[in-house]
Amino acid sequence: MKNNLIFNNLNMLKDKPNKEGKDELIQQQGMQLEFSGSAKEYFRIWIVNLCLTIITFGFFSAWAKVRKKRYFYSNLTLDGTPFQYLAQPITILKGRIIAAILFLMYYSSTHYFTTMLPYVLVAGLIIAPWVIVRSVAFNARYSAYRNMTFRFDGTYVESFRVIYAWGIIPAIAVGTIFNWWGIYWAAGIAYAVFAILFPWWVRNLKNFIVTKTSYGGHFGQFSASGNYFFQVYLVSVFITFGFGLITTIIVRFFEMEGMPYSNIIFIMPIYAGYVFAYAYVQTKITNTVWNQIRLGPLRFRCTLNSFEMAELYLTNAIGIIASAGFLIPWAVIRTYKYRTDNTHVINMTELKEFRASETETVQAAGAEMTEFFDMDLSI
Amino acid sequence: MNITSTRLEGTYYDGKIPIARPALLVFDNNEVTLTSGDTTLTYALHKLHVSPRVGNTDRFISLSDSGQYQCTDQPILDQLPQEVRSEGLVAWFENRMSVAVASVGIIICALFIGYFYGMPLVAKSMIKRIPIETEASLGNHILTWFDDSQWFNESHIDQDQQGSIMNKFNKLHQGLSMSPNIKLEFRNSERIGPNAFALPGGTIVITDQIVDIAESEEEVLAILAHEIGHAERRHSIRQILQGSFAALAATTITADAASLSTAVTGLPVILARTKYSRDFEREADDFAFDLLKRNHISTEAFASIMERLAKDSGSIEKLSFVSTHPVTSKRIKRAREFNNKESD
Repeated sequence: MKNNLIFNNLNMLKDKPNKEGKDELIQQQGMQLEFSGSAKEYFRIWIVNLCLTIITFGFFSAWAKVRKKRYFYSNLTLDGTPFQYLAQPITILKGRIIAAILFLMYYSSTHYFTTMLPYVLVAGLIIAPWVIVRSVAFNARYSAYRNMTFRFDGTYVESFRVIYAWGIIPAIAVGTIFNWWGIYWAAGIAYAVFAILFPWWVRNLKNFIVTKTSYGGHFGQFSASGNYFFQVYLVSVFITFGFGLITTIIVRFFEMEGMPYSNIIFIMPIYAGYVFAYAYVQTKITNTVWNQIRLGPLRFRCTLNSFEMAELYLTNAIGIIASAGFLIPWAVIRTYKYRTDNTHVINMTELKEFRASETETVQAAGAEMTEFFDMDLSI
Repeated sequence: MNITSTRLEGTYYDGKIPIARPALLVFDNNEVTLTSGDTTLTYALHKLHVSPRVGNTDRFISLSDSGQYQCTDQPILDQLPQEVRSEGLVAWFENRMSVAVASVGIIICALFIGYFYGMPLVAKSMIKRIPIETEASLGNHILTWFDDSQWFNESHIDQDQQGSIMNKFNKLHQGLSMSPNIKLEFRNSERIGPNAFALPGGTIVITDQIVDIAESEEEVLAILAHEIGHAERRHSIRQILQGSFAALAATTITADAASLSTAVTGLPVILARTKYSRDFEREADDFAFDLLKRNHISTEAFASIMERLAKDSGSIEKLSFVSTHPVTSKRIKRAREFNNKESD
């Protein structure tokens, strides 16, 4: 079963255009995508904005966010033209204040006023689809390329349907609220069903975001299948278990229980397994999503590598810890650069196919809330 | 600086299709003329808006129709109307290495002061506003949870011994400001083993296992004196508050690295929380030593039971900076030193 799956996975890689074919297409019709940011320059931006954020007790964070976003957008050029981030700090600040209030309510209900938790959770379930729609729309609206902004037209109802399609998440939430999980088998089944359906859920969410996003009158098209997502997640589970098994064998074989610092020795390989599984999922999902997106005349090729990503994550973590955090800008820049270097945009016909339409403004509150609650919906 | 007759080479985007057109911008008094291919457009100078400076990347000038002009960054652009004025100053700071170096110093000082003085001070003043009933209900919640989930079972200690300990315990905390709220609960817990806890609100839980391991009631009281110290100083609720502040601060600082690794963002919070926890343990130890002395109990009782606990659990001293408690041998040493000093 296990071998078979990995084998399938390798086959899936081959299903994509082979390497020469791919390179040829990129060479002939690829548009140059380049990231020119440098760690040294970004360090100054990062530290100055962090300092101002700390001494203003967080109020400056809206400016800090805009400055950092602008840095990444401005240094990312496609066919010689940089992307633009258009949001203004005051708009972001407004959203942040709303998000901070909601976060405070959530935090205090989970930590201090636990009797309020059920109401807060239900309210959270109701506003979550709205938060997602608003934030994606905000990001699209304030992202521009060649003087034309992106758009996101997903509605609350559509978002609600995508997130709660099988009713699994609400079921788990409601079950938790009313403490049904005293019945262990019910909880077990609910979580198992959720775990199995999760890849399709992720796929549908990505599909929703891609197909409702448009640029110059063309909506994104998405052809990735849920089966592939499922295999990626399954392999990641095997990776995690594999590392756990190896650790157990080593510990038993060398009779290492009770040795000094034994806890740390046990945790290291398990942590390595977790990092690698995480890198694997990130890499495969990112690659598939981009490779299966079409936007008008544009196609994308994403060629991230799991091992290289894992190496990046590990070296980043070591660098950040060893430097007490001062290498965070370096880590962010090199990761961004690696991702850009492995993303290719192919123009099949002409950019003239894109035509601008009327634009409208979107409230910033949604975008801020997702950041606060750390829901990374990036594709 | 006079901007009249200045010429800027760049790229023009009409805002209708994403095509880049090479263009030239010529300034003349209050007007500016754009030439691109056969197109010539004229705009009023005060209606232009320039995008903020970002590193050394190109900047964009919004024209009063839907058009936009892209050119390399140059000082002359600062004389035109700015899209976001406040960012100009920030960009000025960002471009100076001296400001960056100063920022490092300010951040380190701010974190240092906030961490050692600010957060404990704020937490202290905040707990004055938290009614003890709210805190007690949180404590009851925790105890109920431990009871329901079988972490705690009914105590096997016989009633006489419980009564005897209870009496001495009540005498021990008599006269303290938290005294009306301090309660003692006996619980059996094979899973937790010999231990004692001070819950928010003043409830102290002691496991049967610690009563069993103690060779005298004085040893049990020594442990309880330490827990009374936690209760009197409201350490549990302060730990929750200070931990929340630390988490908030750490999230702000490591926000950029959040997507890179959760371990990186989790680590500073763990370090901060355990440091506060060790401070509280030390404070509770000191409190206990004084309390024991006032009740004519030797701190040697504390030292001896701690020694036995360490031996029984067979644990090796953990790395002190990730531990929630100070190194046990140090605590034992401090108890003995206190004892010697008092008997001199």
